[in-house]
Amino acid sequence: MVKSAPPADGRPMKKNDLILIAALLAVALLAYAGVSLYSKVSTNKAEAVVYQQGKEQGRYRLSENTVVEISLENGDYNILQIREGQAEITEASCPDKTCVRHRPISRQGESLVCLPNQMAVEIENGADSGIDGATD
Amino acid sequence: MKKVYGVILLVIGIAVLVSAICLYGRDEKLNQYQGQFFDCFDTVTTITGYAGSQEEFSEKMDLLKQKLLHYHQLYDIYHTYSGINNLKTINDAAGVEAVKVEPEIMELLKLGKEMYEQTKGEFQIAYGSVLSLWHDYREQGMAKPNQAKLPAKEELSKRAQHTEMGAVVLDETASTVYLTDKEMSLDVGGIGKGYAVQRLAEYARELGMEHVLISVGGNVSAVGAKIDQKPWRVGVENPDQDSLEPYLCTVDMVDQSIVTSGDYQRYYEVDGKRYCHIIDPHTNMPPEYFASVSVLAKDSGRADALSTALFNMEFEEGLSLVESLEDVEAMWIGKDGEIRSSSGWKADEKK
Repeated sequence: MVKSAPPADGRPMKKNDLILIAALLAVALLAYAGVSLYSKVSTNKAEAVVYQQGKEQGRYRLSENTVVEISLENGDYNILQIREGQAEITEASCPDKTCVRHRPISRQGESLVCLPNQMAVEIENGADSGIDGATD
Repeated sequence: MKKVYGVILLVIGIAVLVSAICLYGRDEKLNQYQGQFFDCFDTVTTITGYAGSQEEFSEKMDLLKQKLLHYHQLYDIYHTYSGINNLKTINDAAGVEAVKVEPEIMELLKLGKEMYEQTKGEFQIAYGSVLSLWHDYREQGMAKPNQAKLPAKEELSKRAQHTEMGAVVLDETASTVYLTDKEMSLDVGGIGKGYAVQRLAEYARELGMEHVLISVGGNVSAVGAKIDQKPWRVGVENPDQDSLEPYLCTVDMVDQSIVTSGDYQRYYEVDGKRYCHIIDPHTNMPPEYFASVSVLAKDSGRADALSTALFNMEFEEGLSLVESLEDVEAMWIGKDGEIRSSSGWKADEKK
């Protein structure tokens, strides 16, 4: 059996030193766990938020596959599909179909817009895309 | 045991410090707000800014929306509004009488005339007679795609005879606009939105907003930088709508505007061929040079007119125009995806 070497100043390691090390380790571990948990939660929290005429109508997690019909009182509609973490409009009553042609969205701040139906789907609470706006 | 207390104090101290840093950073993030509305210029308006609370931000949003709505009504060529003379009022009075207008219309039309000169007629505000014909055919073609048709060449050239800029008479002393040709009409689709965005950015400053990003249907204008002094980062949409890559590149902006003209959003198809909403005044047909052109400039109104003009011009010609202008840069995306840009264009290519 080899006994642990005493510190350089010749003092043997005390119980308190061990407590200090253990406490620091615990803090570091907790901080690491906190940070990784937070970032995991924030990526899983991404939602497709549906707006009609600028007012929020519903929120759907990107992590759960679903199909939603977003309809207006006059019978106009857009079908929102969420599949494998991506949101897209698969069908719509509008004449231009710009919303249907648009690629699926999944990143923070991306949006699907249907002007005739005054409808927008935006990704919120997603991972930061690093973009503040877009020009098209 | 004294040492144990010391350690505990140290640990608490670190914990407090760490959470303070975290909370500080998060507080700053929470102060950014975004608002959206659909009522102006037939497109979606998104405003990103900072405020102490949602209420405070919403109050400012309402003021900005009212302002933009005012411009929307002034520049509308399809509807009249009680109590205001707008562009439809001017068009309806063509060949009949001069119409008294507000400064917002006079200033816009003056800029329109200036941009007409600067672009050698590739940008046109007195082109309504031709644009309205295309507009009707596009609307019908979108409603019934299998019956989509092109306007007849003869009809187009007949209408093009009523697009003389000289027939647009601006009287600044009397604040009136008179179209001397009865068959002519104004259409400010290629400049009105951009001009309004510029005025809106200035209004935001008057309201004390120092860090705002305004986007009216892709006409994006940055007031100042972000609150952390970093520039606003704006993505340039990939014209290839089937591609999974949403942006071709990003542009960093402080007190600047960017406008994109493209063929991939508003168009209709005839016999499988795409005809976009931008019409070249020299051919009366949609140009086929590019998928999109983006213009970065100080002034959003100029950027708007220039992006339309460049979309109508061959690359070399457009490039020499851009290089001759101060504080103006441009990026052209070809139909095959090829990207070209002016010498001062600074963008991060997306990986």
